[in-house]
This record gives sequence, C-alpha cells and structure tokens, in this order.
Amino acid sequence: MEVQGLQMTEPKTAPGLFKRNPPIAGEAEAIERAKAGDAEAFSKLYALHKRRVYTLCLRMLGNVSEAEDMTQEAFLHLFRKIGSFRGESAFSTWLHRLTVNLVLMHLRKKGLQLVSLEETINPSEEDSPKRDFGSRDTQLAGSVDRVALERAVASLPPGYRMVFVLHDVEGFEHNEIAVMLECSTGNSKSQLHKARLKLRELLRQTEPTQQADLKEAAL
Amino acid sequence: MTQRNSNRSNPLSCAEFQEQLPDLFAAGANGLIEDPSLLEHLKTCENCSALVRDLQYIADQAKQLLQPTHEPSDNVWKKIQEGLASDPSYAVEPNEK
Repeated sequence: MEVQGLQMTEPKTAPGLFKRNPPIAGEAEAIERAKAGDAEAFSKLYALHKRRVYTLCLRMLGNVSEAEDMTQEAFLHLFRKIGSFRGESAFSTWLHRLTVNLVLMHLRKKGLQLVSLEETINPSEEDSPKRDFGSRDTQLAGSVDRVALERAVASLPPGYRMVFVLHDVEGFEHNEIAVMLECSTGNSKSQLHKARLKLRELLRQTEPTQQADLKEAAL
Repeated sequence: MTQRNSNRSNPLSCAEFQEQLPDLFAAGANGLIEDPSLLEHLKTCENCSALVRDLQYIADQAKQLLQPTHEPSDNVWKKIQEGLASDPSYAVEPNEK
C-alpha cells in the first residue's frame, strides 16, 4: 500500500501519554534488533502490540475484516519505517499514531467524511444527544462496567466514535485530533461532548437490562 | 473557560450552563469550576450537577478501554510474514540465524 503524506516523525508526546504507554519489558531490545532486520524481533514486536493495534483499528472501523487488513498494513508499515524511530516518544504512542493515520487515510479513500456534517451541524433526531433539562437524576458512577461501555462506544455514530476513541481512549489532544480529522479544534471539542452525552444516554438505557440480567442470574 | 457570564446578576439557565461544558471539559476544569456564575448554577442545579458527574465518570471509564480486548486472527500475522518475505525493502534476515 502506498502511503503518502503519512506522518512518520515522532510526535511530541502529550502530558501523561508516556505514563499511559509505559515501556514494555523486552521491547527496546526487540526494536533495535528489528532495525537490523531480525525477523524474530518483528515477531516479538507484533506479539507485544497486535492486540492494542487491532483493538484500535476495530474501534475506529467497526468491522473485523477491515480492522484485520489495517492491522496488517500498520505492521508492514511499521517494519518498513522502524529505522526512523529514535525513541523520543513511547514506541506504542508512535505506533498508534501511525495506525490512526493509516486508518484515516483508508477511510478518506473510501470517501467517508471523518467528521460528519450531519452530526456536527444538524444532528438527526436519532443521533442527537438529548438535552438534559428536567431529566431524572440517575447517577452512572459505579454502575458501568467495561463491557457495557465497549458496547455503547461501538453503537455511537461514526463521527462521535472517532473523536471519543482518539481523545478519551487513546489520549490525543484536541489540536492533534483537529489536524488528523481536518476539522477545527472547536469541532473536535463539540463532537467529543456530544459523544459523551450520547454515551450517557445509551448507558442509562442499558442499566435496567443489566439489573434484570443480574436478578435473573441470581434466581 | 469563558468568563463572559461571570458578572451577570441573573442566574444561568441549564441551557446556558450546558453550552459551556465542551470548553470546560476541554480545559480540564472538571470539578475545578471557578467562574462564579457556573459554580452557582452547579451548586443549585441537581440535574446539571449529575450531568457533570456522569460525563466525568464516562471520560474516566474510557481510560479502561486503552487495555485491548480483541485479538486479530492468526491469518493477519501470516499475511504480514508474506508481505515481509515478498518485499526486499524490509531486508529481513532469515529466521535460521
């Protein structure tokens, strides 16, 4: 796959991102060996990072087949360019940025609008997060498990999901997301806020089901 | 965070308060709201207070998702190996060293 314009320079790591992406045991040695073309080192790096790269692709694309194709592309690209990695940022940060850029290029080639104008300017009745005026006060805190959140994220409209995954999960800043998605910083903030509102709505809807499931399981 | 409402005498409506939320969260000011009019609204409006708590909770919970839950099929690595083998630009040493 020809990758043009893909940023291969190491990003300035956002505060906390090194903390969120700490070095992995054996990684540094594998990187150096991979730079020398050692096939076993490639295998080691793949084993260390395949799940996070694939999970990222799957969340961004929502499709197993495409996510596997992009995981393949990301690692092939990584192995081709690993010589340019200088260790100035966490390796996983570098790899994730490379992956995000590849997925976004893939989506652009498919002609998909990365930040949906409909979601941004004129949200549909179905997609629009509902205003909170006068709603009952049900706290989410402590009631949402990882599986429920994962499901809710998967059911977000693509534009909301993209910004939520990039910001709240992957830790990118709004100015970075704005560059990646070719939108304004304000747009990124707005999309993220709408994504969280929509998630709140989805998670509140799932609460009674979860409680019913728990009651059923207890019987 | 905007200060445009800080000197107003009328209390904020929920709509006015919620319009500020994207910037408030982006500024990392959750729980540290300093604008008096926003603070006053948050103290007196249970709905908006719950909304802020929930949105912060969702943002916090999202960090859990950084840990991967999905695994690619074995076919992915097989295709990567084929790609490595067929492209001389990788300059991969043979496995049997």
